[in-house]
Amino acid sequence: MSKGLVGRWKSMLGLSKERAGQDLSFELLFRSFREVIESNNRALEIITDMGEKLGGDYLFDIIYIKSAYSKLSDAVKRSMESFDALTRKKHLELHGVFDRIDQQIRQMVYSLHPARDEMVVFYEDITWDMARKVGGKNASLAELKNHLALRVPDAFVITTHAFDELITHNSLDTLIQSLENDAAVSESALTELRNLIMHAEIPPDLDAAIDSGIEKIKARCGERCFLAVRSSAEEEDGEFSFAGQFETVLNVPLEGKAVKDASKKVIASLFSPHSVAYQRQHGYHVGKLKMAVGCMVMVDAVSSGVMYSTAPNGDRDMLLINATWGLGKTVVEGQTDGDLYKVKKSTVPEIIEMKQGRKESMIVNLKEGGTDAVRTPEGMRGEPCLKRETALELSRLGVTLEKHSKRPQDIEWAVDKDERIYLLQSRPLRIQQDKEGEPGLSVPAKDSKHALMNNKGIAVQKGVGIGRVFILRQLDELENVPKGSVLVSKYDSSNFVRIMPYLSAIITDVGTPTSHMASLCREFRVPTIVNAADATQVLSHGQEVTVTVGDEENTTVYEGIVKELAGFVDAHSMQMEDIYEFRKKRYILRYISPLNLIDPFIDNFTTEGCKTLHDVLRFIHEKSVMELVDRARYGNALIKKHAAVKLDLPIPAGIIVIDIGGGLNLDARIDHASFEQLSSAPLRAIIKGMLYPGIWHADAVSLRVNDFLSSMMRMPDITSDVSDYVGYNVAVVSKEYVNLSLKFGYHFTMIDSYCSETARNNHIYFRFVGGATDITKRSRRIQLIADILKEYGFNLNTKGDLLIARLANVRKDDMEDMLDQMGRLIAYTRQLDAVLHDDSAVVRYAKNFLEGNYEF
Amino acid sequence: MQSYRIMVIDDEKIVGDMAKMSLEQEGYVVETFLNAEPALARLKEQKFDVVVTDYKMKGIDGMEVLRTVKGLYPETKVIMITAFANLDTAIEALRGDVHDFFPKPVKIKELKASIRRALGRQ
Repeated sequence: MSKGLVGRWKSMLGLSKERAGQDLSFELLFRSFREVIESNNRALEIITDMGEKLGGDYLFDIIYIKSAYSKLSDAVKRSMESFDALTRKKHLELHGVFDRIDQQIRQMVYSLHPARDEMVVFYEDITWDMARKVGGKNASLAELKNHLALRVPDAFVITTHAFDELITHNSLDTLIQSLENDAAVSESALTELRNLIMHAEIPPDLDAAIDSGIEKIKARCGERCFLAVRSSAEEEDGEFSFAGQFETVLNVPLEGKAVKDASKKVIASLFSPHSVAYQRQHGYHVGKLKMAVGCMVMVDAVSSGVMYSTAPNGDRDMLLINATWGLGKTVVEGQTDGDLYKVKKSTVPEIIEMKQGRKESMIVNLKEGGTDAVRTPEGMRGEPCLKRETALELSRLGVTLEKHSKRPQDIEWAVDKDERIYLLQSRPLRIQQDKEGEPGLSVPAKDSKHALMNNKGIAVQKGVGIGRVFILRQLDELENVPKGSVLVSKYDSSNFVRIMPYLSAIITDVGTPTSHMASLCREFRVPTIVNAADATQVLSHGQEVTVTVGDEENTTVYEGIVKELAGFVDAHSMQMEDIYEFRKKRYILRYISPLNLIDPFIDNFTTEGCKTLHDVLRFIHEKSVMELVDRARYGNALIKKHAAVKLDLPIPAGIIVIDIGGGLNLDARIDHASFEQLSSAPLRAIIKGMLYPGIWHADAVSLRVNDFLSSMMRMPDITSDVSDYVGYNVAVVSKEYVNLSLKFGYHFTMIDSYCSETARNNHIYFRFVGGATDITKRSRRIQLIADILKEYGFNLNTKGDLLIARLANVRKDDMEDMLDQMGRLIAYTRQLDAVLHDDSAVVRYAKNFLEGNYEF
Repeated sequence: MQSYRIMVIDDEKIVGDMAKMSLEQEGYVVETFLNAEPALARLKEQKFDVVVTDYKMKGIDGMEVLRTVKGLYPETKVIMITAFANLDTAIEALRGDVHDFFPKPVKIKELKASIRRALGRQ
C-alpha cells in the first residue's frame, strides 16, 4: 500500500495529527458548498448541451462554440472560487490545471496556432491540430495511443516542417515544384530526384533533433531496441489511404546515420513512379504533397498481420484476421499464405472459421538490424500462429477501433512473446455499401407489438444497439461484462466509463439524462436509456436483444436480433464524421467531456489526474463533499455557537440537531424537536428508517466474555476522536442536507447526504467504523453491511473494519427510500456483531435484512 | 424524377458541409456558398427551390439575399438562419417574406422538416 493511501485512510479515521483550523463557520462552509454545487451544475449543463449540439444533429458554427465555451469557463472558474473558500485554498494547484486545459481549448476555439515548427515530435505530444505536421498515419495512431490508451509502440515523428527544411536546405524546391506542371515526368527525372534526396545533407538543427529523439528512445526502451521507419504523408482528412505507396524500412538500429538514411529513403519514395501516378489519379498536385516520417520502436513480433474490422464484402457481423509468424510484411503486402480467421463480432466475438495457411516462409528481425525472409521451421508451419484467446482479444480491439472511428478499419498489428497485442496502424477501410442497408440518419420505426419494453424511460443517446443483456447487480461485476453487451443496471454510474467503448447499449432503472454517465454515453455514442423503471426485472441476463433509441426519443427493446435494424448499428452520424470541419470543431470536446477521474480511491484522483474540465468538476465535487464530511466531524466544538436542538424520539438514539438552514420547523427557540418538526428531507428519511417497527432491538444482545475484554481493549482508539459531547450523536442539517455522526456503543457511523429535486446533486456518503467484539466478528459485520449496500448499488471500499460507501445521482424519491433503508441498517447492525458467530450468519442476516425480516 | 435544388449560404464552412451532407441524404441537389456574391451570381443562371442563408454575413447579408432571390424567383422559398437571434431580426426577416427563421445551432431534423413544408411535400 502506498504511503499516500495510508495517509488518506488515517485522515478518514481521524487519526491524522493535522487538523484544519475550525475558524470557518458552518454558514460560510455550507454557503460555499452550495455555490460549488450550483456552479458545477451549470457547468455540467453546458457540457451536456455542447455534447448535444456538436453531436451531428445540429448545424452549428463557431459563434455557438465561443459563446458556450465562455459560459462554461465562467462556471468552472466560479466553482473553483467557491471551492477555494470552502477548502481555504487547499487545492490551489487546480488553477494551474484549469489554465492549461483552458488554454488548449482556447487555442482551438480561437484558432490560435502556437508557433509550432518542431522538426521532431513524440507521439504523446501530438495534438489535434498537428495532423498536417505529422501526417495522417502518425496523427491517427497518436490519437489512439493518447486518447484510447491503446498499446502503440513508442515513437517520434520527423515532421513535414523537417521535410521542408531538408528540401530547401538542399535547394531541391525548384526541382520539386517543376513536377507540378510537368504532366509527364520522365522516370529518369524521378530517379535523379530520389538520388538527390538520398544524398541530401541534413540541416544541422534537424540532425540534432533526430539524434535527441534517438537518445530519448534509448533511455526509454534500452540500447538494444530497433526502429521501424515509416512513411506518413501529409493529408487533410485521410480521404485516401496511400496504402503501400511509400517505403517502410524495418528494424533500423538506434544509431543516427541508420535512422537518417532510412528516413531519407522514406522521403524519397514520395517520388517513386508508382507513387507519383497514384497522387495524380487522386487529384493531388504532385510536388505539393509533403512527407512526415514515423520512427517507431520495433515490436519483437512472434506473429503479426492485418485485421479488417468488417469483412470487405460488407458483412457487418464479420471481422477478418490474417496472421503469420514473425513480421507481418508478407501479409500486409498480400503475399499471403497466412492463417485466416473469420470472427463473428456482434456480441461476444466467436471464431467461426479458421483457415490454416502454409506459412512456408516468415520475415524475422536480424540481430544487427534489417530483416530477412527465412523458411518457417517445420514444427511451426502446421501450427496456428495465434492462440484462440489472442485472436479473440484482437477481435475485440478491432470492434473498439471501429466503434471509435465510426467506420470499418484496416488494422496492422503485432503480438510479442508475452501475448501483448500492439497496434501498428489503423485506417479507414473502404467497403462497398450494401444498398439496402444504406444507413440513414433516423432509426426506422418498427412494429413494437412484440417489444420487451416500449417507450419506457428517457432517451439519452439515440442509435441502435444489439447484444446480450448483462444485468449488473454490483459495481465490482463491471470487470466481467463481456464486450458488446447491453448493460442493464438499477443505477447509473460514471464507473461505467471503463467499459463504455465496448458496450452496445445501456439501460438503467433509475437515473437522469444529465448525469455524468449520460454525458459520457453521448461522448461514446452508446445508445442509452435511463430511468426505465424496471428494466432489471423485465430483461433477463444473457438474453439477446435489440435496443433502439429513435429520433422522437422513442425507445424500444426487442427480443433477439432484429435484422432490419442491424444495419443501423453505429450508423447514426457516421457520415458526419466524414466531414473534416465537423471532426475538427468537435475535437474540443476531447478537452471538455471525457471523465478520467472516476474512483476517488485510486491514485489518479489528484489534480494532476485532471485532463478535462469534466475531471476538474469531478475533483471539486468529490473534495467538497469530503471537506463537509471532515468539518462536520469536527463540528462539536461549534455546537455552542449554534442552535443545538435535541431530537425527541421514541428510541434512545440521543441525537442533537444543528440547523444551518431550513432543516427544522420550529415555532420558537426551544431546545428540543419532534420527528414531525424535522424538515430536513434526508434526516427525516433516515430517522423514519430507524423508527421502523421492530428494527430497534431494545435488548442488548449479551456480549460473550472475550467480546467484552476485546471491547475494553479497543475502546481508546475508537473513542478518542469521536465526540466531546459524550452520549450524544450529532446531525448538521439543512432542508436538503444532513451530516449525521452516530456513535452506538463502539460503532461509529457517519452519513453525509444531499437530497434535493436535482438528482445530479444528490449523494449519500456512508462510513462505518466499528469496534467491540473480536476482529473476526467485526470483519463479518463489515461484510454484512457491504453485502447489503452492494445490493443497493453503492460503490464500496472496505479496509479492515472501516467501510466507505457512496451513491450519487439518484432521484429524490429513490434517495428517500434509500436513506430510509440506511436508517434501518444503522439500527439493525447496532448490535449485530454479537450474533455473527460464523460466516454463514453473514449471508443469512444480509438476506433477512433485504427481505425485510429484522428478527435476530 | 427531377430533384429539388437547395442552395446553402453561410460564411462558415462547417455549416455548409453539414447541411449538404444531411440534405443530400434526403435526395436533394445541394450547392453551398461561403458568401453571397457568388451565390447570387449562380442564382442568376440557375433557379433553386429553396435557399437557406445565414442572416449576418460580411458584404451582402441575408436580407439582401432574400430580396434578390424574391426578385428573381418569387416562388423560391428562403430560410434564414442566424447565430444572433433576437426578436427584431426575426420580425424583419418574416416581414420580408421569409419562409422560416431559425436561430443557430439549428436542429437538422427541423431544417429538413421546414424544407419539406417549403416544397409542399408534407
